[in-house]
Amino acid sequence: MKPAPFTYHAPRDAAETVGLLAELGEEAKLIAGGQSLVPMLALRLAVFDHLVDLRHVAGLRGIERRGDAVWIGAATTQAEIGRSEQVARDVPLLSRATPLIGHFQIRNRGTIGGSVAHADAAAEYPAIALTLDARLETLSPRGSRTLPAAGFFTGMWSTGLAEDELLTGITFPVRAPRSGFAVEEFARRSGDFALAGAAVAVELDGDAQIRRCAIGLFGLGPVPLRAVAAEAALAGRGTDSVSAEEVGSTAVAELRSVPADLHGSADYRRHVGAVMVARAWRRAVKEAGDA
Amino acid sequence: MNDETTNGARYAGTRVPRVEDPRLLTGHGTYVDDVARPGTLHACFVRSPLARASIGSVDASEALALEGVHAVFTAEDLNPGVHEQWYTLIGRDVPDTPRPQLAEGEVRFVGDPVALVVADDRYIAEDAAELVVVDYEPLPPVVDYATARDSGELVHADYPRNIACELAGLPVEDFPVFEEAAFTVRETIRQQAYAAVPIETRGIVAEWSAVTGEMAIWASTQSPHEMRLFCARLLGIDEHRVRVVMRDTGGGFGQKVLPMREEICIMLASLKVPGPLKWIEDRRENLLSAGQARHEHADARIAFDADGTMLATAIDYVQDVGAYPIPAPMNTCAVVGILFPGPYRVPQGTFATTGVFSNTVGRTAYRGPWQFESVAREVLLDIAAREMGMDPAELRRRNLLRRDEFPYTNHNGMPYSDVTPLDTFEQALEMLDYEAFRAEQARARTEGRFLGVGTCTYVEPTTDSLSLHATEGATIRIEPSGKVNVYVGGGSSGNSLETTVVQLTADALGVDIADVNTVQGDTAVTPFGGGTGGSRSGSMTAGAVEVTASILRERIAEIAAHRLEVSVDDVEVAGGQAAVRGKPETGIPLAEIASIAYFQPETLPPGVPPGLEASGRYRAQSPVIWANATHLCTCEVDVETGAVKLLRFIVSEDCGPMINPSVVEGQIAGGAVQGIGGALYEHLAYDEDGNPVSTTFMDYLLPTATEVPVIEYGHVETPGPGPGGYKGVGEGGAIGAPPAVVNAVADALAPFGVKITRLPVTPESIVALVRAARVREEAAG
Repeated sequence: MKPAPFTYHAPRDAAETVGLLAELGEEAKLIAGGQSLVPMLALRLAVFDHLVDLRHVAGLRGIERRGDAVWIGAATTQAEIGRSEQVARDVPLLSRATPLIGHFQIRNRGTIGGSVAHADAAAEYPAIALTLDARLETLSPRGSRTLPAAGFFTGMWSTGLAEDELLTGITFPVRAPRSGFAVEEFARRSGDFALAGAAVAVELDGDAQIRRCAIGLFGLGPVPLRAVAAEAALAGRGTDSVSAEEVGSTAVAELRSVPADLHGSADYRRHVGAVMVARAWRRAVKEAGDA
Repeated sequence: MNDETTNGARYAGTRVPRVEDPRLLTGHGTYVDDVARPGTLHACFVRSPLARASIGSVDASEALALEGVHAVFTAEDLNPGVHEQWYTLIGRDVPDTPRPQLAEGEVRFVGDPVALVVADDRYIAEDAAELVVVDYEPLPPVVDYATARDSGELVHADYPRNIACELAGLPVEDFPVFEEAAFTVRETIRQQAYAAVPIETRGIVAEWSAVTGEMAIWASTQSPHEMRLFCARLLGIDEHRVRVVMRDTGGGFGQKVLPMREEICIMLASLKVPGPLKWIEDRRENLLSAGQARHEHADARIAFDADGTMLATAIDYVQDVGAYPIPAPMNTCAVVGILFPGPYRVPQGTFATTGVFSNTVGRTAYRGPWQFESVAREVLLDIAAREMGMDPAELRRRNLLRRDEFPYTNHNGMPYSDVTPLDTFEQALEMLDYEAFRAEQARARTEGRFLGVGTCTYVEPTTDSLSLHATEGATIRIEPSGKVNVYVGGGSSGNSLETTVVQLTADALGVDIADVNTVQGDTAVTPFGGGTGGSRSGSMTAGAVEVTASILRERIAEIAAHRLEVSVDDVEVAGGQAAVRGKPETGIPLAEIASIAYFQPETLPPGVPPGLEASGRYRAQSPVIWANATHLCTCEVDVETGAVKLLRFIVSEDCGPMINPSVVEGQIAGGAVQGIGGALYEHLAYDEDGNPVSTTFMDYLLPTATEVPVIEYGHVETPGPGPGGYKGVGEGGAIGAPPAVVNAVADALAPFGVKITRLPVTPESIVALVRAARVREEAAG
């Protein structure tokens, strides 16, 4: 479990970083907290000639209110996000998902940008970004751009980022009044990747009718998913007329290619996914109703 | 014993803080990878990616061309170096199963070592290992041991039907009671493969000096003296020129009792390389190649009369021994069958037991290797109780042996003594308040919550007296300052042997514990000893310390008597001095007596030898010392997800008087957590092609602090037949926990009428059982 040889680079700013990526091409890999990459290197499941470390790159850390959104620098650690009162107040779903990520030692090093760019389908942050319609800010030698989370996750561990493109920050919309949020996941042990997880954001109008809702699913496909058909069917309905179990079963009815391994078959994950959606739905609707 | 000889034990029986803790808890332990010898070379194995294949050519040219690579060895290079390969613990003439060093001709499991790369560091060695090209011709593997006897393929050509060993009592057909009894329960119970998984993986440094003919070995081992004897025989060098050193071993649990193939290869290769050779197993290798345990099943039955009195037991047991079991599996196979009746009053019955080869990693010893006797029996008892409409506690109460019934010989001829199964059972139930729990369970069910309670009661053999384990020695040196060093063979792998030896020695010599130090694990300076294994260290080292200390006590008393001009019988050795009994003010400090013994030998009384150093050897007083315990677990099951939350975990145990209750409880906790892991989480699984699918801690799930409740302890103290009455306690935790957990989950799910007969109890299996039960219910209308 020793990695194959690589050259280590420690750029100081984002422009230098993407310049290195452009120059080194596909043999280079960015390393942020390293919580996924280092084990993959040690097991030689991944081999790169160059590692470009983001630890010393300026301007990638921080949490700031920017208008109706909260900007979080890509190199901000999960632990910093978990501690942030601003995140807890303005983006509660992100705050609530954070303690579910691994263990605190992992969260002390793991970053939001690393998690989103690594795009593990069972990870919390990619699913939360998708659920909240976050916007992803990037930089490449061709300039900066902003991508919607929808469509960003293109396959297992793959995203819409170009080879020489760096994720610099993520903006999350500030919560609306009369809204509620919940995340539920099921893992074999505390801190393990979820076998099935669900994030729910729901916004009500004055008459306890569902103005809009988002249901994010993780661990249930090759990428984090939104239960789009279930969301559409729920919009405009009164919360009293919706049973959480129905939301759960509708949300998982859309699923194709649910993963299976030693810890759970596809059928089981789908079943637990429905339970997680139902539980998250109940809590989110209650919070929105109480707001 | 201490009471008789030292006027009251000061330390035995108390929670003396562990002397190991300051170094271990501050990261100052010395594990084998901490050993740094000048010029060390590093080894990495090239391992088979296939479950079964014949080996064609091995091309190492590219690997050898890599800078920093010293050698690539194959079977052809290393295997002929073997002089004799057998374990002292097992004996030379006992039939053994095949165990090549590097794979020869055929690989037999994924991970089978095929070649050994030696390089300047482990990084280069791993780079080079990837460059070794082995030409494999795939063969159909025998993956499933349960069907292996009917397979057309053989794991080893010399073992027809893939049978490694077989033993049987009378055929079960000879016992009409199973047909005639009012009630007979019969199920096939299955347990998955799981493993010891020590936090420190295996590792060895072997340093051969051709000039002096000396071999020095640092190893992660439970038995340095076994390793020394083994190495001397293996390489054909003199035993007294081999030195094995271990300071800290980070967990063994049976896996490090005997040198395994990789360690053998390092010993062989060390003669052929220009520097010390180090191999540190990584986690993937440990999960791939350090062995499995627990993979087994049995067709088990128990006959009862109408009142629930047990009439007979029978078990037909089959064990997966993998490709290369260590040691040969006959012994544990037999013990599972023989101990199946457990601590219950069972007048008749029989057993059959079979070990079967498969193309998976070999079986190794693991904490309570015969544990399945308890799993099968206790799970079956709960199933029987539910089917008979009895409370499982009441069923056990009716059949557990009472204190006054011992010694008792079970129907397979195994004599138990000095145990208290019913006492521990009642104590555990009382600690829980069993009736209150049943009431709470009933209330919870009305709210749609499912709570359960399960127990396991067992007797276990500890402190065997066979061969390597028959004796244990100690050397005690009272230094000229009066400070004490005690030398024992050691082999502690986390079981606090330094603490208990220091406690016992301080008591035996009547000195302050701070004045006692112990040296263990270095074969050059410690007396020969069997190491840790078979829950033997408590009793055997207590015996060794006492035998040796009594020599010195006598000598001290003689010197003091001479100086004080009193009779030896009037001298008392206590409080760091020797004094006239009842007159501590007459005391001569130990330092002064030591000074006389070493520096003024001319003043010694006639016949008293100079110096205050002695060696003694204790011989086990009985073939085995029995211990017993009851584990009790409560849980809540989320029937929607299948999640199991353990609520309370209670262990009532009788290991006799305790040398150190904290150490005893630490042993129980460690074993119980491993058992909880086996019941719910750990699975060393293979796919149908024989590929292992849990070779990292992502997939091999060890229970962590969040999965395990605080473990509660109850103690019953019945002296055993050895020094101090101490019994073994190292293994029991891992025996009792799995059935208690399984039974608790099954009890929680009782309203659904489900039966759990397969481990591990995963969330998915629970959801499937509940779902099937609901389907049955609907079908029944």
